[in-house]
Amino acid sequence: MKPALWISQSTFSYPDHPNVLQSIDLQIMPGERVGLIGPNGAGKTTLFLLACGVLRSDTGEILLFGEPVLPGDFHPEIGMVFQHPDDQLFCPSVWDDVAFGPQNLGLSKAEVASRVETALSLVGTLELASRPPHHLSGGEKRMISIAGVLAMQPRLIIYDEPSANLDIRSRRRLISFLQASRETILIASHDLELVLEVCERVVLLDEGRIVADGDPRETMGDVALMEAHGLERPHSLVYHAEPHHGCSGEAAAKREI
Amino acid sequence: MHIPDGILPITISAAGYATSGAATWYSLRKIGQKENAQASVPKASLLTAAFFVASWIHIPVPPTSVHLVLNGLLGAVLGYYAFPAILIGLFFQAVMFQHGGLTTLGVNATMMGVPALLAFFIFRLRRVVGKESRWAVGLFGFLAGAAGLGIAALIAWGLLINTIPAHLDVEAERASIYALTLAHMPLIVLEGIFTALVALFLHRVKPEILED
Amino acid sequence: MIDGLDKYAHLRSSLHRWDPRYKLVGLITLMFAFSFVQDLRLLPAMLAVTSGLYAASRMPLAFLLTRLRTPGVFVIVVAILWPFISGTTVIARIGPLSLRQEGTLAMGLIVVKFISILTISLVLFGTAPFLTTIKALRALGLPPILGDMTLLAYRYLYEIGNDLKTMERAMGLRGFRAQWLSSRALGVLASLAGTMLVRSYEQSERVYKAMILRGYGHSSHPRDQFHRMVCIRAHPRDWAGLVGVFLVAAGFVAMEIWLRGSGG
Repeated sequence: MKPALWISQSTFSYPDHPNVLQSIDLQIMPGERVGLIGPNGAGKTTLFLLACGVLRSDTGEILLFGEPVLPGDFHPEIGMVFQHPDDQLFCPSVWDDVAFGPQNLGLSKAEVASRVETALSLVGTLELASRPPHHLSGGEKRMISIAGVLAMQPRLIIYDEPSANLDIRSRRRLISFLQASRETILIASHDLELVLEVCERVVLLDEGRIVADGDPRETMGDVALMEAHGLERPHSLVYHAEPHHGCSGEAAAKREI
Repeated sequence: MHIPDGILPITISAAGYATSGAATWYSLRKIGQKENAQASVPKASLLTAAFFVASWIHIPVPPTSVHLVLNGLLGAVLGYYAFPAILIGLFFQAVMFQHGGLTTLGVNATMMGVPALLAFFIFRLRRVVGKESRWAVGLFGFLAGAAGLGIAALIAWGLLINTIPAHLDVEAERASIYALTLAHMPLIVLEGIFTALVALFLHRVKPEILED
Repeated sequence: MIDGLDKYAHLRSSLHRWDPRYKLVGLITLMFAFSFVQDLRLLPAMLAVTSGLYAASRMPLAFLLTRLRTPGVFVIVVAILWPFISGTTVIARIGPLSLRQEGTLAMGLIVVKFISILTISLVLFGTAPFLTTIKALRALGLPPILGDMTLLAYRYLYEIGNDLKTMERAMGLRGFRAQWLSSRALGVLASLAGTMLVRSYEQSERVYKAMILRGYGHSSHPRDQFHRMVCIRAHPRDWAGLVGVFLVAAGFVAMEIWLRGSGG
């Protein structure tokens, strides 16, 4: 089976920022749900832009479902949900925005309408179709930006900090949605609990290099590893007989029993 | 200084649309000649919106406050996109705020847009001194801003004085022109200074914005 | 702001139902016909047509009055001078000022024309969502770049306006009071404007990336990306409306020419 995404020996530097990515090797198989974690500035967003063909890597190559990614080309098999929905919702109405991708695919009007309705229904926001984006709440904008990507029916979807700025209910809705999705997904997030709930594999990126790649509970439960790379062990992986809520050991042990 | 509907004769309104059409055609042609015209559409569009909003900033001029026109700065930053940007900005103002007019859209666009293009050319002249030079940015920024408003004001007053159906005597006419020009001088200087300050800010923080 | 304009766009009236393309062409022609009028005798007819159209749009009068307020002030200020400085036939004296006939009549002409044209433009843009009207312009041949720019600028106007308010509030909370035209105040306000420009510029780069990732520039249609107007088949009713408005406009133009010719 061909990997969904195959990044080989890729490096990338910005003009004012060298070695943002250093010799990255990464393979993601179809159907996998991978979390990408790391401190700010690790290169996560840059990696995504390389995978989508927006940026061209300085060395190495990138294959998407076996085909080389050519920068500048349109690759509808891969979709990216940006960190700030406002950067992605650039049409004056929700319907128009979700229709944008399918229209560029050259589909008929009927097909476009069908795709828009399906995508909006999948994320549960069909009733918002005629609204302008700036009237929506953060959670609604987030789900609609996802709908806009889903409407192109990509096989691999990249999520860049999807739960940022969401309230609890919207975040829970997002997690349920991600758990139910059938595409191959790659999620960059500081929300380590979300990564634990959604992903079966986690990749740790720091200073442009992949430092760890494996089971989420093992990788993120490794305190030394996490702290060495500017992260923390997620709270749900903390062993709960250890006193850690600011009270004395005895009282805590009594309460647990 | 946008001229509202109902004041100008239809010949002037029509002429305004003709000149706007020509200026738009010229601008679009120049834009089309650039390498990656498509990439600059989002930039020009969001900057158009930003300029529109920026003109809402109150500048205190006791006893009141004024809103600057900023067409000189717009020209310096947007280059050939300046004319379409001003056309769109005026369209929004006419439709959303009833400021300016729809029959006079062509006239207003020409009045503000042509000086904006001239301001672009003036600002570009700083290359003669050296693009990186801070004082060149400041000086040519001031000239661009002042010219932007100054030429627009001249066109506006020229139009109004010459076309309003009035039976003014020559004395009154001359006196009114002098009075209006005098009243606008401080504003023209203010616009120039503000443009220079913003240009210097951009030069320091994000010089790419000022690239052609 | 923009919302204010779309407030009554969902009503049901013959004007709301009129195909936006025909409405655009018809009402703009009417506006220009009004602009052509110079003869005072046509003013009552102009007001009649204008009020008729506004009444047909079913939008409330209060809406029109609020919209007329701000620009009205400007026109009044300009127009108020005219009765006192323009003309030679003095009809009254108020202290040292002489009210002149030609000027008063000229003022009347300006004010009525202004109100009429503005009302027609409110009928045009208030009876359909702004977005629909832009699409109609595109369908009528507005150049693709202008169409794209208008829609994108419209989309981000609200956000950027909000950003400005937030920044001004934050400045105020840290004690900035722009009351005097000091060089410091000017510098701070210039930084405010500059920051807005930089932020919009940077956001536009991200928006562009989002656009190309969804195929901007790769459309099978060689034209612009936003033009996919749902093709409304024009009803005979839409045509009738257009012809009707054309006749009215032509009527005004013909009357004006005839009145001028007969030495009005």
